[in-house]
Amino acid sequence: MGLAWSLFNPILMLAVYTFVFSVVFKARWGATVAGGDESKAQFAMVLFVGLIVHGLFAEVLNRAPTLVLNNANYVKKVVFPLEILPVVSLGAALFHCLASLVVLLVAFAIFNGHLQLTAIFIPAVILPLLVLTLGIAWMLASLGTYLRDVGQTIGLVTTILMFLAPVFYPIAALPDEFRPFIMANPLTFVIEQIRAVVIWGNLPDWEGLGVYTMAAVGVGWAGYAWFQKTRKGFADVI
Amino acid sequence: MSSSDTPLVATLVKPEEAADSNEDAVAIRVRSLRKGYQIYDAPRDRLKQFLWPRLQRLLGQTPKQYYREFLALKDISLEIKRGETVGIIGRNGSGKSTLLQVICGTLHPNSGDVLVNGRVAALLELGSGFNPEFTGRENVYMNAGILGLTQEQTAARFADIESFADIGDFIDQPVKTYSSGMSVRLAFAVIAHVDADILVIDEALAVGDAFFTQKCMRFLRTFMKTGTVLFVSHDTASVRSLCSRAIWLEKAELLREGSPDDVCNLYLEAFYEAQQGRHTTTKMRTASLQDPTKPWKDQRLEFLNLSNLRNDLQVFSFDTDAASFGKGGARIVSVAFLDKENAPLTWVVGGEQITLQIRALALEYLTAPIVGFFVKDRLGQTLFGDNTFLNTREQPKVCEEGMSLDAEFTFQMPILPAGDYSVSVAIANGTENDHVQHHWIHDAMFFKSQSSSVVTGLVGIPMRHIELRVVERSA
Repeated sequence: MGLAWSLFNPILMLAVYTFVFSVVFKARWGATVAGGDESKAQFAMVLFVGLIVHGLFAEVLNRAPTLVLNNANYVKKVVFPLEILPVVSLGAALFHCLASLVVLLVAFAIFNGHLQLTAIFIPAVILPLLVLTLGIAWMLASLGTYLRDVGQTIGLVTTILMFLAPVFYPIAALPDEFRPFIMANPLTFVIEQIRAVVIWGNLPDWEGLGVYTMAAVGVGWAGYAWFQKTRKGFADVI
Repeated sequence: MSSSDTPLVATLVKPEEAADSNEDAVAIRVRSLRKGYQIYDAPRDRLKQFLWPRLQRLLGQTPKQYYREFLALKDISLEIKRGETVGIIGRNGSGKSTLLQVICGTLHPNSGDVLVNGRVAALLELGSGFNPEFTGRENVYMNAGILGLTQEQTAARFADIESFADIGDFIDQPVKTYSSGMSVRLAFAVIAHVDADILVIDEALAVGDAFFTQKCMRFLRTFMKTGTVLFVSHDTASVRSLCSRAIWLEKAELLREGSPDDVCNLYLEAFYEAQQGRHTTTKMRTASLQDPTKPWKDQRLEFLNLSNLRNDLQVFSFDTDAASFGKGGARIVSVAFLDKENAPLTWVVGGEQITLQIRALALEYLTAPIVGFFVKDRLGQTLFGDNTFLNTREQPKVCEEGMSLDAEFTFQMPILPAGDYSVSVAIANGTENDHVQHHWIHDAMFFKSQSSSVVTGLVGIPMRHIELRVVERSA
């Protein structure tokens, strides 16, 4: 099967989430694509955007703390560019993410009969997230090597981040006093922007994207610097 | 996988350094290197060490230390010239592997600096930098890439690498299915084909079978003509036969450095010292007890007219100043070759029967003395030897203090290739496996082979019959 799983997985997940949230919970998003009723498929697609973004982020981060530990040979026996390990893992996650995006776009086209033109801005919205994810992955890869407990807790952290992002509910559903917390989640902005360009057909929030990109580059650079500074000790603790 | 063509291991010569010819001749230079490991009693101490000292420093207190430091290398300095083959010996835990890892760049020293000129290919521990999930083929490309070969270069050499490793169809199986011997074969095959300037080998040759070890030795001997080799081994014989210099590390310090023969001898002494506790490394000087009334006989005269390829062995008399060690319960006072009439010989002919006589003086009561000898060649390789243990096993010759012991070994001297030879002798008390060395003399007596009929091998044995016949065609 191999590569087929990359497509089959998101399709199956999309079907399951549609069933659970639309049929069982009878949840509604409360917003519709211009000129249409909010269908069950519609809700599932909105949900799916959140899952895709979170999936990319979580897949890289969950693996990061054990990346160096699992490649002890490359640390102890050869001089290896260890900093590419998180990059490779990001590449794998990005591939899964792209497969899911294709499924999403195909589903959107089937149910709405057209694609939003603004979908061409997906790369511009995703790119800052990649930089941010990579920076955090470098940091976690280094920390996880020194502190094995990081590997145990990271799964919990990424799950919490999923529920504290507008994945299963719109931001509007939250009371005002909780809004700042959810906006602090790095996933929130990206999820909202992808929804804007893919589903609602709006242009990205360029100003917000600019700020987000600068912050992401800062984190990415800090993560890389931290990784390179601490890698000297890897061979001592593995 | 990676087709990276950056020589990541190689620290290339900087132009300003290359300009200095003296600097250029150095392959590896290590200056006051220090490497310590932090040993924690419990994992939580590691976390405490991570947090508290910083906090305490912030608060202006003296930070507390939660670990003990284990020094793997303290203040090591050495310089290896281009083209040298250097062997590192030492007991387990003496810092050999740490030193190699620091030189290769996989470990970072606490202080001191390492300069490496040229591309280093290393075989550290077993299996080297293989990813167990990838096939042998993928790992070859990956490893060669790390060592600075491009994908095309590796592809061009792949057939050579495959035939050197000689692991058959396993090349396309994941490395995790390999035996330890197979992964070492493949790892060695890779480093043998990456045009390295410096080879670093950590006890890797002990794993392969005899055929592969021979193949590696042949490769190493060829490589040594142009390249630099750094070599760790417990096997002093291979250090003696391969290296031009030896380094002895002991408890994180560089204890001795010099010719492989000297360093290996000292290492061997220390080994016995550790086993026997009390140590009296004294160069015992004794008056020779050789009987002056017996004339020295030149055995060569009898053969003078027989052959121009006669194996003349010139014997130099017992060296009373030779380096020796032992507990001192007995002392070897003379070593000599004797002929059938018990006359000491200054010349011996290879292939003739002679007697090696070793005379020792008991300085304490010996319950089961054993006297032994072995003959080494110029490279320090042991050619042959024997001891009196088997002959006295049933009834050990008890020896009172002050009594003399004569051990005589009568044998046919093998024909020896031209070169210098030495006889090392020892007297011990106990059994072959469990004994106390009382006096061991390195190279107690030298002899020299002038000319030889030996065609090949370490020693020649007298041929009883050699014939070349032309067999007529049967048809």
